[in-house]
Amino acid sequence: MALLDIKGISKIYGSVKALQNIDLAVEQGEWLSIMGPSGSGKTTMMNIIGCMDKPTDGKVILDGIDISAESARNLTAIRRDKIGLIFQQFHLISYLTALENIMVAQYYHSMPDEKEALQALDRVGLLERAKHLPSQLSGGEQQRVCIARALINYPMLVLADEPTGNLDEVNEGIVMDIFRQLHSEGSTVVVVTHDPEVAEEAQRTVILEHGRIARITYNVGRESRKGE
Amino acid sequence: MFLRLVKGALFRQKKKMLMIAFTIALGASLATAMLNVMLDVGDKVNRELKTYGANINVLPKEVSLLDDLYGVSDGSGVLSESELGSLKTIFWAFNIVDFAPYLNVKARISGRDGEFRLVGTWFANHLELPTGEALDTGINNMKSWWSVEGEWPAGDDASAAMAGSIAAERAGLAVGDVISVSTGGGNGESVSLTIKGIFAAGSDEDERIYVPLSVAQGMAKRPGAVSSVEVSALTTPDNELSRRAAQNPKSLSVKEWETWYCTAYVSAICYQIEEVLTDSVAKPIRQVAESEGAILEKTQLLMLLITILSLAGAALGISNLVTAGVMERSREIGLLKALGAGNAPVSRLILTEILITGVVGGVAGYFAGLGFAQIIGQTVFGAAINIKPMVIPLVAILVFLVTLVGSVPSIRLLLSLRPAEVLHGR
Repeated sequence: MALLDIKGISKIYGSVKALQNIDLAVEQGEWLSIMGPSGSGKTTMMNIIGCMDKPTDGKVILDGIDISAESARNLTAIRRDKIGLIFQQFHLISYLTALENIMVAQYYHSMPDEKEALQALDRVGLLERAKHLPSQLSGGEQQRVCIARALINYPMLVLADEPTGNLDEVNEGIVMDIFRQLHSEGSTVVVVTHDPEVAEEAQRTVILEHGRIARITYNVGRESRKGE
Repeated sequence: MFLRLVKGALFRQKKKMLMIAFTIALGASLATAMLNVMLDVGDKVNRELKTYGANINVLPKEVSLLDDLYGVSDGSGVLSESELGSLKTIFWAFNIVDFAPYLNVKARISGRDGEFRLVGTWFANHLELPTGEALDTGINNMKSWWSVEGEWPAGDDASAAMAGSIAAERAGLAVGDVISVSTGGGNGESVSLTIKGIFAAGSDEDERIYVPLSVAQGMAKRPGAVSSVEVSALTTPDNELSRRAAQNPKSLSVKEWETWYCTAYVSAICYQIEEVLTDSVAKPIRQVAESEGAILEKTQLLMLLITILSLAGAALGISNLVTAGVMERSREIGLLKALGAGNAPVSRLILTEILITGVVGGVAGYFAGLGFAQIIGQTVFGAAINIKPMVIPLVAILVFLVTLVGSVPSIRLLLSLRPAEVLHGR
């Protein structure tokens, strides 16, 4: 059974059809990219998969739960337990250190564990920056803190929205290395991007246009890619 | 972690939190000042009103009866001057501020036509009380609003007199004049008096000449007699219980009677006066007593309204500031929700921040309010306001409620925030 099974979802905002009759399944351990131009429905798709929005029609089954039928309260719990969110804008809390930003996710999930949070920072290469505030970190470093925060509660699905959108080439490389490592360790990753190079890193790329799936491409050739 | 979040938010938004604390402090200070003044204003206003005269008139029982039945106030009954000190032995002795006895005598002034009404009284009498204490009382305290030309006679001056402006004009008297007064068409013993002052009271008192009580008693040949006593007492505004008691104290149950007797209602004080003065009837001077009650109630109502308005203003201020704060922090709140924080934990976080600010503002406001209360006390009443400990829990509860009520719109906004909207704009 697919970890994420999207069945005929549509999302309509007033007269705007953001998504129309989307069918998509994401297997456990798969790396999927969602691409498309602005206004194609990428962010709407991410919000729905990330339990931050509900489709107008259709079903979304995540780990066997129909999240399109759950209450807002339950969606919060599902998001907390099953999904790790990575944002283009990082969204770190400005008055908390890098370490504390990670511990916030632990706090709302279960219990803060400083040792584990430090390990997460070490994993993204920022152990020595643990006590720094976001304002004292570069964009790439902030994104790595954001990734460490997304991973701290061992999510089933890592959902990244334009994770390299605000990064330079060097930092983009570092972040993509982390994603490759995640994938190699068996994490399921869904990356929403408009960058073809980032999209090509995934096993499969779904291209959205005007709220519909225009095409799906299968990316082959990378040795480290799992399942090939 | 929760404390780190709270601490971080408080220090990060220092200016906004200080503004909220200041708003709360302002509301708390006004509430503290007004509540302290309101709880103390009864005595202050009463004392202020006491300068405008007596509120209880004591008559001999016989005179009172004739007055009630036939509207005639003359009679042979008298009160005893020697018993007057016991007025300060009643249950509400400390509420008896001043009193003055009167004895009316009709007299003639040598060289002037017609009879004049002489009133024997204490100008300023030093009284040794049965309790061993001493009291200075008399009409110089009770008639402080009189406009006096000349001076008030000294208490021990047995040959001094004060003439009302109408009497003085009629008799052609001036300050310093020495007059010879006598009763019984000039056949009685004459007494020589010096006009120490001429007063204008704006009432029928202006037609009288006030003389020492002993002089009037001598002229009337009634030593130790008093025809009436005016008492100035601090009283509590009347209510249904006191009105029922005034009609007939025996109609009260034992519990009601105890409540009434142990409350400074004017009727209770009258009752207690009658207990200590033989064959006396003490009656409240209704206009004065009721006016005092009305003024007191209105003053307290005004204070209460100012308190309510200031707290409502504070609640509005808090509401605006906190809502603005939540709007500014919508991304942070959206992020917390995205990370899995439910509405309750996020609301708890924001409320904790606001309540901590409220405690700081409330404490600062309380102490500022104590200062305001003293300023009001000194400015309006010329006396310090007694600090009431019961104001502390009252202000604490009010600050808590106001902060909570002021936070309601922001909490509603917070609950309506959806992570997708604030993080992704949809």
